[in-house]
Amino acid sequence: MREFDLLQPKTLNDALEALAQNNATIRPLGGGTDMLVDLRARRVQPDTLVALQGVNELRGVTRANGHLHVGASTTIAEILKNPLFAPFNALRQAASVFANPMIRNSATIAGNIGSASPAGDMLPPLLALNAQIELVSRNETRVMPLSEFFLGPRKTAKRADELISSIQLLVTSNQSPVSNPQSSAFYKLGLRQADAISLVSVAVWLERDGEKIRDVRIALGAVAPRPMRATRAEEILRGQIFSETNLKESARIASTECSPISDLRASADYRRRMIAVYVRRMIEQAWQHF
Amino acid sequence: MHKKTIHLTLNGEAREWSVYPNELLLNVLREQEYLTGTKYGCGIGECGACTLHLDGAPTLSCLTLAIACDGADILTIEGLARDGKLDATQQAFLEHSAFQCGFCTSDMIMMTRALLNENAQPSEAQVRDYLRGNLCRCTGYASIVRAALDAAALEKQRAEPSAAS
Repeated sequence: MREFDLLQPKTLNDALEALAQNNATIRPLGGGTDMLVDLRARRVQPDTLVALQGVNELRGVTRANGHLHVGASTTIAEILKNPLFAPFNALRQAASVFANPMIRNSATIAGNIGSASPAGDMLPPLLALNAQIELVSRNETRVMPLSEFFLGPRKTAKRADELISSIQLLVTSNQSPVSNPQSSAFYKLGLRQADAISLVSVAVWLERDGEKIRDVRIALGAVAPRPMRATRAEEILRGQIFSETNLKESARIASTECSPISDLRASADYRRRMIAVYVRRMIEQAWQHF
Repeated sequence: MHKKTIHLTLNGEAREWSVYPNELLLNVLREQEYLTGTKYGCGIGECGACTLHLDGAPTLSCLTLAIACDGADILTIEGLARDGKLDATQQAFLEHSAFQCGFCTSDMIMMTRALLNENAQPSEAQVRDYLRGNLCRCTGYASIVRAALDAAALEKQRAEPSAAS
């Protein structure tokens, strides 16, 4: 493998200082399950890696002020095990089909987001759950909706001197009399049951008010240059009675909103058809799970 | 690029390694420790051949930098037998001949061991789900699944010696 220097900071400040002082050939290293593959294929050629494994500030999952604060170094395996993630069914479902059990023990949530693959498994559920992303550098901390973070295939709004520090999810309490019940669902269509790169993936989130869908978010993976929200498909359902007619129309619109490519895994036409199928199924699934 | 000295526990024994930043855990095990039970398969995390336990969790050693293992507790297939006695998973794989070429045997056994540590009585569906990232190109998996299920039974039997003897 290509030679590189490795920094192993113990604090977030030290990590940010290293990123601030170095040039563009420095890269953060999380679980390494993408980075080491890219290094070997020479898709990335950094001179220095900053290993974040020892930075305690990037660890941990806490619930405060109605939000779940998910540390950047949280592994996919922890999303499956930690009961704090129980309200986020779509995220759990994505974690359960993420690569394979060994990768899930190493790969981190920030790594999957930072890699910014259009097919990244955790991205549609995070978009459907309206996640916020926190970026830190030596000089500032900024928080933005995750929907603004992805700029294109493997391109993000993160500067070279910044790190993803956490992801924030709004926790709603179904016990609270003021909030409506909420539910989410995710499906990845792959060519096999393990290590599959998704042909399409669909995540939906619903808020229910009696027989109406009060609010809805639909996110699609692997059918555009970046993970996307199907906002026109959402409009068909928002504020309306849950009905077969609306469901069909929303699914049809979603398949026209995306812009999939044909490649060796599937044709664009097949991907569009599958978006319609799985948008419909995931909304039905989320509706049934209130 | 500088070497760094790290300390770790390997199969229950203390080790000191001097490693470069770009050395993979898999390569150090095979080329410096001569522990060749852990295999190099695809090198990109898609076959499972390099699976070992890192601080108790099944991990791909082809996607792990050795230098990041300072203070770690590593268990490979060579460390599974205790006091000359095969682990229940090893015994079950032998009894079921759950291998043909043997290349995946180490990783299948290490995964079965990890599964039984989490879940002492897994169902067949749970075994198949847990082993889904470990490829075997010979057996068709049937004998591996039987061996994994039987390993759970064998371990239970060993834990209750009165019932066994």
